[in-house]
Amino acid sequence: MLANAMRQAVRLLWAHKTRALLTMFGLVWGTASVIFLVSWGHGVTAMLETGFFRAGKNMGEVWAGKSSEQFSPAVDRRYLWFTLDDVVRLRNRARLPEVIGAETWEMLPITFRQRAHTVDIRGIDPETLEIRGVRMAAGRGITRADLEHRRRVVVLGHRIRSRLLAGEGQIDSWVRIAGKPFRVVGLLERVGTQLSRDRMEIDEQAWIPITTLQTGWPSWWTDDEVVTKILYRMRDRSLLEETEAEVRAILAEGLGVSADDEEAVGIWSAIEMLNRIPLDELSGFLFILAAATLLIGGVGILNMMLDSVHERRHEIGLRLAIGARRNDVVMQFFLETFAIIVIGGLVGVAFGVLACLALAQVQVDDLIPVPVFQLDIVFVTLAILGFVGMAAGVIPAWRAARVDPASMLRME
Amino acid sequence: MSVHGDGQANPVIRLSEVHKHYDTGPLDVHALRGIDLEIYPGEFVAIMGPSGSGKTTLMEIMGCLSRPSLGDFRLNGRNVEEISANGLARIRGEEIGFVFQSFNLLPRLSLIENVELPLVYRRVGRRERRDRAVTALARVGLDHRARHSPMEISGGERQRVAIARALVNAPSLLLADEPTGNLDSVTGDEILKLLHTIHAEGATVVIVTHDRTIGEQAERQLAIRDGLIAGDRERR
Ligand SMILES: Nc1ncnc2c1ncn2[C@@H]1O[C@H](COP(=O)(O)OP(=O)(O)OP(=O)(O)O)[C@@H](O)[C@H]1O
Ligand SMILES: [Mg+2]
Repeated sequence: MLANAMRQAVRLLWAHKTRALLTMFGLVWGTASVIFLVSWGHGVTAMLETGFFRAGKNMGEVWAGKSSEQFSPAVDRRYLWFTLDDVVRLRNRARLPEVIGAETWEMLPITFRQRAHTVDIRGIDPETLEIRGVRMAAGRGITRADLEHRRRVVVLGHRIRSRLLAGEGQIDSWVRIAGKPFRVVGLLERVGTQLSRDRMEIDEQAWIPITTLQTGWPSWWTDDEVVTKILYRMRDRSLLEETEAEVRAILAEGLGVSADDEEAVGIWSAIEMLNRIPLDELSGFLFILAAATLLIGGVGILNMMLDSVHERRHEIGLRLAIGARRNDVVMQFFLETFAIIVIGGLVGVAFGVLACLALAQVQVDDLIPVPVFQLDIVFVTLAILGFVGMAAGVIPAWRAARVDPASMLRME
Repeated sequence: MSVHGDGQANPVIRLSEVHKHYDTGPLDVHALRGIDLEIYPGEFVAIMGPSGSGKTTLMEIMGCLSRPSLGDFRLNGRNVEEISANGLARIRGEEIGFVFQSFNLLPRLSLIENVELPLVYRRVGRRERRDRAVTALARVGLDHRARHSPMEISGGERQRVAIARALVNAPSLLLADEPTGNLDSVTGDEILKLLHTIHAEGATVVIVTHDRTIGEQAERQLAIRDGLIAGDRERR
């Protein structure tokens, strides 16, 4: 019975190739667009995360500002800064951050042979190196020993390295930073465009031990060895607020300000930005857009089946006359629809997936969203397709088979 | 009232006060206006009457293809009104064979597939289906054309295939609505002979015809006019 009906369905589709193909085109288009657009939505999310995390994954940045309280009648508010002692206290007491690092910066000229550039010099420690997560292209990073001995060593970002050293220098070359000789001990791999950064991008930075920077270029308003920024990496992005609160409370105590003074202890995290961008809404919008095209494909099926049923009213009547039950007739049209949906759906899935995979292969220079294909969307798509298609395919036949066979038989 | 039958056998068909309305918008067509009729097992009945008198409508009701608007129809003693749609489908498939004026073969199926179709709906297995379809085709003398398409054979041959399809379930009631209407007289005679053979083998046959000579050959002739039975004659 089923095999028989299936054979007839395929034969029938073959007899109406053009109509079937047009209907199928709608399905292929709809299916492929759902898969492609939703994957592209994933791609946008992934791209934004990549871009924001290039400066450091799950990173929080802390700086000292001004106290909110009145300082004295003459000076309205007090300027604040961190030192390495604050960093140590934070490391000892904070539970939520995974790693805590320090960073201090200066814009300074760096020279090699005849070439000179003014670059973003960052005094860092090994923890900051870890938090930034930039891979070494060659050599080593900044070590604890470098800090202790206040060594004049430098790690160069990708772009500054090619501009400064060109082809002529490498590890162990000597460069000068504001006149002082530094040995190049490491070269960073390319980071690329960052969606979050302060001052220059990492590719244009040169990293030296924080203590070396503090000694060589001391602050001009205090004798303290100033830390411009404290960086930390949270254990999990869901702990954003808890981690911030803990860090602020500990640092505020050291600065002698209240534990929730956001102006005194400023904290910024890319995750806040990411959370604020309506990525889920974007995905949902793309999904609805694509699902609508799938729905239009369903209308195509509906149209085709209405046609098909109308054309074959007499045949339906005859089948009912020789013993077919209503369900048999509906089943026959169901199979016809089913064949179209299976073929159209599979071709559509294939196109959609191929388009995603092909585009993902294209080597994009930088932050361009590339579809990120996830298998579950295929099942979602096929489920929608199945539902829409079956409804569209079966309802006309079901309606037709409900009227009495005699009136169908009289149709020519 | 019918005077037929020997009073012992139960009628195959028993209509009492059967009406049929076609409700087509503003126009209400009263196609049958109170038919009382009994047909007994083994009868050969010819229904005659002018065009539009309700012959086809009557056949449709007798064949469970539509239900009376009013009145009582019993098929082999069962009140058809109480039978579900699926039950009627089963009755049409197993107990009734239809032959139509325009043959009604499905053009995309081969002859044997056409003949097999009623068995498909009875869920008969593939092999048995083939065997019984070939036997039925052999009875109408067309088993050698089994694989052909309906488009490749003549009108008379098509009607023979349609008869084979009606016979394949060995129905006890054969309903034929102007089976020779689209055929020349020679071919028509062949078809009629076939129907008489089937009748001789025990089936009850009801045939609608315009052709007086065909009507004369029937044991019993019903005249129908304006949705009413105008005459009921038995040939002895
Ligand atoms: N589906 C329908 N809707 C409306 N009226 C109908 C319908 N079917 C039949 N009729 C009307 O019912 C009446 C009887 O029709 P029926 O087909 O039974 O006549 P008939 O005796 O078979 O005629 P013919 O000899 O031309 O086949 C006619 O007036 C016809 O127009
Ligand atoms: Mg008629």
